[in-house]
Amino acid sequence: MNAIPVLTIEDVATLDGVLGDFLKKTEADLTVVIDRGGNVISQCGDMDVIDVTVIAALAAGSFAATRELARRIGEVEFNALYHQGNGSHMFMNSVDDETIMITVFGSRSTVGLVRFYSTTTAQNVAEVLKLLRRTAHGLSFDPKDISAEPVFVDHP
Amino acid sequence: MSIINYASREIQFKIVYYGPALCGKTTNLNYIHQRINPLNRGDLVSLATATERTLFFDFLPLNALVIKGFVTKFQLYTVPGQVIYNATRQLVLRSVDGIVFVADSQWEKMEENVESLKNLSDNLALQNMVIEEIPCVLEYNKRDLPNVAPVNYMEYVLNNRKKRLQSFEVISSSGQNVFAALNAVSQILLHKFSKHSETPQGAPLPIAIPVEPAPPEARQLPA
Repeated sequence: MNAIPVLTIEDVATLDGVLGDFLKKTEADLTVVIDRGGNVISQCGDMDVIDVTVIAALAAGSFAATRELARRIGEVEFNALYHQGNGSHMFMNSVDDETIMITVFGSRSTVGLVRFYSTTTAQNVAEVLKLLRRTAHGLSFDPKDISAEPVFVDHP
Repeated sequence: MSIINYASREIQFKIVYYGPALCGKTTNLNYIHQRINPLNRGDLVSLATATERTLFFDFLPLNALVIKGFVTKFQLYTVPGQVIYNATRQLVLRSVDGIVFVADSQWEKMEENVESLKNLSDNLALQNMVIEEIPCVLEYNKRDLPNVAPVNYMEYVLNNRKKRLQSFEVISSSGQNVFAALNAVSQILLHKFSKHSETPQGAPLPIAIPVEPAPPEARQLPA
């Protein structure tokens, strides 16, 4: 029987605490923890700013693509990436081999501040995820709970 | 790998459209984006060249209420089909949950189909996955063209395995069977995580609409 890994309510609360503290210290707009396949694991902050799902997919791709650049200069990968805009900026840093953290911030914060606090935050997030992988909660569904209707409908 | 967030009661699945260059992967996503209820989808993001060839990937997030008590988020990706972009295909395949392999039905594309399917197997092997163990369906696309190979030939070439994959005759430009293939892979995926891993009897398998064959005089045998 296959089971899907589960983030319990307690796991989410712990991650929210770590990320909320990071946002408070940096005054960033939002932060998102994603896996390297582009799935959102946790998010915190003003979610009206962006479509988190799309950002996660693009950020995972961007982070992976720069690995090749890093290899050209003898690195395994870049630990962090910074994209500077006119008003909004994005900072991405590696949490562990499977996870990336993305931070979006504006003029109230600075890249130095985000970079400084992201290191400790990434370590704390990594600890939570390590514990989570060790306990390995999994969930499988009762077949009765899966809808008999087509998942997606073609609307003429 | 999919993940459940119990606090927001969300489940995420990643489905990748794979296949040779110009086989119709992006056309599949375009059709789904156009026809699905806008409330159930996000923006279609395409990272393409000026000539609209996929450079990195296309991405379409969809929402559905198919598991009692949970919002299910399906993230559809395409890979770039061109041979040189294999590193990109490996990146997009990372943490994949389901695959729609899109084959071009034209005789002259058969070698590319076989190469692409082998490339898929090789790239899955890098993640310690095999095609037989991952929810996967086949699309035989472009069935409206005159020079297409018969379906039984395509089955022999692409689906010759102990446990055959579900396959669909598709015309992605008009949308025929595009949703049937998507629904099939979604159902296989959902049932993979049910308490009885096999698809139970009576489970709703999607209905594929038969494609009208091209007139006999229009059919061409390979040289």
